[in-house]
Amino acid sequence: MKQKTTRRIFIRRSAAAAAGAFIIPNIIPASALGMGGKLPPGDRIVMGAIGTGSQGMSNMRDFLDLKKAVQFVAVCDVDSKHLAGAKQTVDAANKNSDCRTYGDFREFLEKEKLDAVSIALPDHWHGIIYTEAVNKKLNVYGEKPICRTINDGKTIVAAVKKNNIIWQTGSWQRSQPHFRRGAELVINGRIGKVKYIEVGLPDGGRGIGTPPVQEVPPELNWEMWLGPAPKVPYRGVSHWDWRWILDYSGGQLTDWAGHHIDIANWGAGLEYTGPAEISGTGVYPTEGLYNVPVEYDFLCKYADGIEMRVANASRLKHGMGTTWHGDLGWIHTDRGNILTASDPKILDEVIGENEIHLYRSDNHWQNFVDSVRTGTPAIAPIEPAYRAISVGLLGEIAMTTGQTIHWDPVTETIAGNERASRLLSRPYRKPWTLPTV
Amino acid sequence: MDPPNRLIYREMRKQHLIYLLAAALISVIPACKKTPKYKALIITGQSEYNWKISSESAKQILDLTGLFKTDIIISPEKGEDMSSFTPAFADYDLVVSNYFGDPLNEGTVSALTEYVKGGGGLVIYNSLSDRVTASSETVSVTKRHDFEIRNAITDHPVTEGLPLRWVHQADLILNGIELAGEGPQVLATAYSDTAYSGSGRREPVMIAWNLGKGRIFATMIGTPDDIENNALHCAGFIVTLQRGAEWAASGTVTQDVPSDFPTAAGPVLRPDFTEITSDEVFENIGDYDISKSTKYFTCMQNMIRKAEGDAETLLDIEKKMVKVLEDDETATEAKKLLLRELSWMGSEYCLPAIEALSSVQELADDVDFALNRLR
Repeated sequence: MKQKTTRRIFIRRSAAAAAGAFIIPNIIPASALGMGGKLPPGDRIVMGAIGTGSQGMSNMRDFLDLKKAVQFVAVCDVDSKHLAGAKQTVDAANKNSDCRTYGDFREFLEKEKLDAVSIALPDHWHGIIYTEAVNKKLNVYGEKPICRTINDGKTIVAAVKKNNIIWQTGSWQRSQPHFRRGAELVINGRIGKVKYIEVGLPDGGRGIGTPPVQEVPPELNWEMWLGPAPKVPYRGVSHWDWRWILDYSGGQLTDWAGHHIDIANWGAGLEYTGPAEISGTGVYPTEGLYNVPVEYDFLCKYADGIEMRVANASRLKHGMGTTWHGDLGWIHTDRGNILTASDPKILDEVIGENEIHLYRSDNHWQNFVDSVRTGTPAIAPIEPAYRAISVGLLGEIAMTTGQTIHWDPVTETIAGNERASRLLSRPYRKPWTLPTV
Repeated sequence: MDPPNRLIYREMRKQHLIYLLAAALISVIPACKKTPKYKALIITGQSEYNWKISSESAKQILDLTGLFKTDIIISPEKGEDMSSFTPAFADYDLVVSNYFGDPLNEGTVSALTEYVKGGGGLVIYNSLSDRVTASSETVSVTKRHDFEIRNAITDHPVTEGLPLRWVHQADLILNGIELAGEGPQVLATAYSDTAYSGSGRREPVMIAWNLGKGRIFATMIGTPDDIENNALHCAGFIVTLQRGAEWAASGTVTQDVPSDFPTAAGPVLRPDFTEITSDEVFENIGDYDISKSTKYFTCMQNMIRKAEGDAETLLDIEKKMVKVLEDDETATEAKKLLLRELSWMGSEYCLPAIEALSSVQELADDVDFALNRLR
């Protein structure tokens, strides 16, 4: 079969020939060509990655799977082993050895000229690095939860709006057909008016006690890993397991809020608002280094009368996932292609032409790439991500204080509770500060 | 299963029949208990397990609630004449059966039956003698190990408000218990792991049974091992026994959920069966060393949560925190944690104490953290 030499194929062939006599220049970012953030279809998006641990690499592979839609050119991590692995992956994909590496995101952001950056870091770094990247007018694929505190989240949202970039949150459930279908049925009233929502997130697990202080492995820049978080000696807990320590994460609750609470909000039309009242309880470990709640159960009341209960899955009838209860029935959805309803006929309902059709994406990473190319919003933009994690963070504040929290989703403030209001932010350790927008 | 155990189970089945009979004879004589304090009687003796340890422990555990005054009555030794063993059940609000051995004499069975008829409370505890609810002939027991218990019913007075999942230490799980009829409710279960000679199923570890006007609470855990007896010192065992006893005696539970109940994260032991008091928290928190224990700090956080924002209670806690903060002997790590906690729950009261620490180099970040939030 005769093959037309498209620009994409030309680039691939050229890259393959790079070891030969002529070397083509590195990919020039579209933004540098003065294209106003839009790219001609077929052009590859030039990307970098900050945070190349398990989730960062998973995202990178998902981008690389998009058949040359993107080209990674630089990676950044505080762990030199992660960095070397990421460079290897990028170089293998590019068939060269040109991938640039950085141990400090500031240098990365200063030197690299990119179309977009994929960021996957422990939550305590999100406020600073997301805002800095967005302030550099980079399009961002950013992992959920987008913030460790409400204050961090507000800043990131403001930065994205001001800089008018494309933001895609790593809430990839939105790009799965059954989640969208469930949400679309609900938002079109197929279970009547939504009265009550249950969101089941994972239970917490066994602790590890408190491991002894250890020598920091030579590959890890521990000071930079901690960054704005309190200085503590290294006890062998950093990658992945940071999510069991409150200085860096809120545990399963905040880890998963960006998935099932996000879906709940999508279907119930709560994407751009928040609860008015939050109350509940958490169960915290008595002993050990891990201190996030292992159980949690709180109720959010919204101004329009909807109630949302968020709890560890063992406490709920449907377990994991999102269950919307309307006055005509319920719909439940979860990973593993689960979509069930009080009456199976509900699931056969056809959504009419003039009804609400939710944004459709069948590949979360492709959707980001397409959005960057076309300059149109991605399926998981910043504010819904902020509103989803806000529910988790407000629940955390209710559990920490033992009080009912009164939240104004418009002014984004807690009313009449100075103590709870202080928990809307976490002071940063010097010299770190939250960037201004 | 080894031969002594097999013998035990055969005997247990006989006992099981006695209790079933008692249950069947329950009638509608109302219980009239108005006194806040209950008299409890532990009947014990003959068990394969160390019934002296388990009975003394159970007495301590019940009496610690302030709700019970507990007596212990010991049966004749195995093989001796049982006819003289006639506990005066009617004098008590609660009977705790920690007995397993030769069959009780008919008069005693009848008295216990009458007692239950009258609406008395019965706790079946330990020593694998609690076959009251068992109707299976194929009961076995796992090897001793730590395992997670899950509360199956969360709105029962015994389990309400407790963590749903909690790790219990160094105990046995009974395999193959079948409930006698519809009456008994399984309050909690544990997965009986085949790696420890388990059944590979979830097995009941706590059972509640409303029988006419009477109530039976059965706990399958808290079996002594004559080593450290950690199964008896598990805060989860202690608290559920206390709550189960109050429920059996009165039908309600007035005890607060303690701040040290174990969770899915791991077990919690109470060396002397008592809950950590507020005084103990502030006596010990100054010695905080994360590598040894975090329990005093987490108990303090629970005290703050329990205050539910009440300004007076919080100020009282804050004053105690400040006192520890100002103490020169307080460990630096303890001061750091106190500063972190005060940063959100403190008032103007703590400010001078925090400011006084601002010149301490190793606390600079933590003082900053606190003042940043408080000012």
